[in-house]
Amino acid sequence: MPTPAAPVVSTAQPEDYFQLLKPRVMSLVIFTAVTGLVAAGGDIDPLLAAIAVLCIAVGAGAAGALNMALEGETDALMRRTRGRPVAAGRVRRDDALTYGAVLSLFSVMLLGMAVNWVAAGLLALTIAYYAGFYTLLLKRRTPQNIVIGGAAGALPPVIGWAAATGSAPWQAWLLFLIIFLWTPPHSWALALYSAGDYARAGIPMMPVARGAKSTRLQIWLYSLVFVPVAILPAFVGLGGLIYLAASVAGGLAFLALAFRLWRSRAGDAPDKAEAVGREAALYDVRAEAKPARDLFAFSILYLMLLFAALLIERLPASQVVCPSCV
Amino acid sequence: MRLTDEQMAARKRRNLAIALGLVAFMVLIFVTTVLNLRRNIEAAADQRAAEQAEFTAPVASGVQR
Repeated sequence: MPTPAAPVVSTAQPEDYFQLLKPRVMSLVIFTAVTGLVAAGGDIDPLLAAIAVLCIAVGAGAAGALNMALEGETDALMRRTRGRPVAAGRVRRDDALTYGAVLSLFSVMLLGMAVNWVAAGLLALTIAYYAGFYTLLLKRRTPQNIVIGGAAGALPPVIGWAAATGSAPWQAWLLFLIIFLWTPPHSWALALYSAGDYARAGIPMMPVARGAKSTRLQIWLYSLVFVPVAILPAFVGLGGLIYLAASVAGGLAFLALAFRLWRSRAGDAPDKAEAVGREAALYDVRAEAKPARDLFAFSILYLMLLFAALLIERLPASQVVCPSCV
Repeated sequence: MRLTDEQMAARKRRNLAIALGLVAFMVLIFVTTVLNLRRNIEAAADQRAAEQAEFTAPVASGVQR
């Protein structure tokens, strides 16, 4: 189904342009970037730090706008995305492209001026990687799309770290690695109960290209690698006791859910919402697919927990209250 | 071409959002410039103080000898 033709004179509202920035993704980007910035330490002015985080958020939003502009037709085929401004025909493709390009330029320039050009360069790389490499090249070509493309989503803490210190040492890349390894189990769990959507749109997500059984096994294998890496910051001086407790307890729960998913039959049959043709809802899936839904939901919670623990420990105030925790 | 009321209203709201965005951008540029100027001035003052200390230290130690 092609994208509905947008009217010659646009009736798009500012809210539609805000939706182009993928605000929910942006909130996760802000959270991880702030964690990277705070974990780095450094003596950055708080106001400049706030401007840096704003630039990172807008840059990530601009990448989202470019993605929606380039994928309008594909988005229109999937229940999860067909309400997006370009897919629904509320914003013209060219307008979304221009909007994304202008915001990309402004956010990168301002980040460079406000803090440093290492952070600005990393932000530019993130935008180009997501909008260009992932959206245009990877997504339709390989079932490893979200594995390789996940690097774009994993970069914000590195940008935050670079904004604070002007460099990106291995500790920053450890935060990158946590998000990078978290992405496949997270995305494939979602794909297991919306595989029909991806198949209709011609996107070779893992359950479409290799089947549900192989996807469940890969989710389990990735989880076995991801959880130890998620705990690692507690042993290299990056996280303290709070982080250790959160990462171990959450990690065990993550592994239990991933194991349950591996042993389940999630994704073997089309999901309920798909079968009856209604809008997809997170908690509206077949009983067999519930392990996939549970892992998907918990994966978000676990990532938030990891970064929240790191943030709490690294905030100057918490070092005064509980020095032994950090 | 004559615009409908809906098109006019949408255009007005978009224009307002663009204006607010541009003003916010200008404010951010201004704040960034002021903060960076202040940082550079402080760094220059620190450097001058360090040079001064370096210059007076040998003289002071020479007097003591």
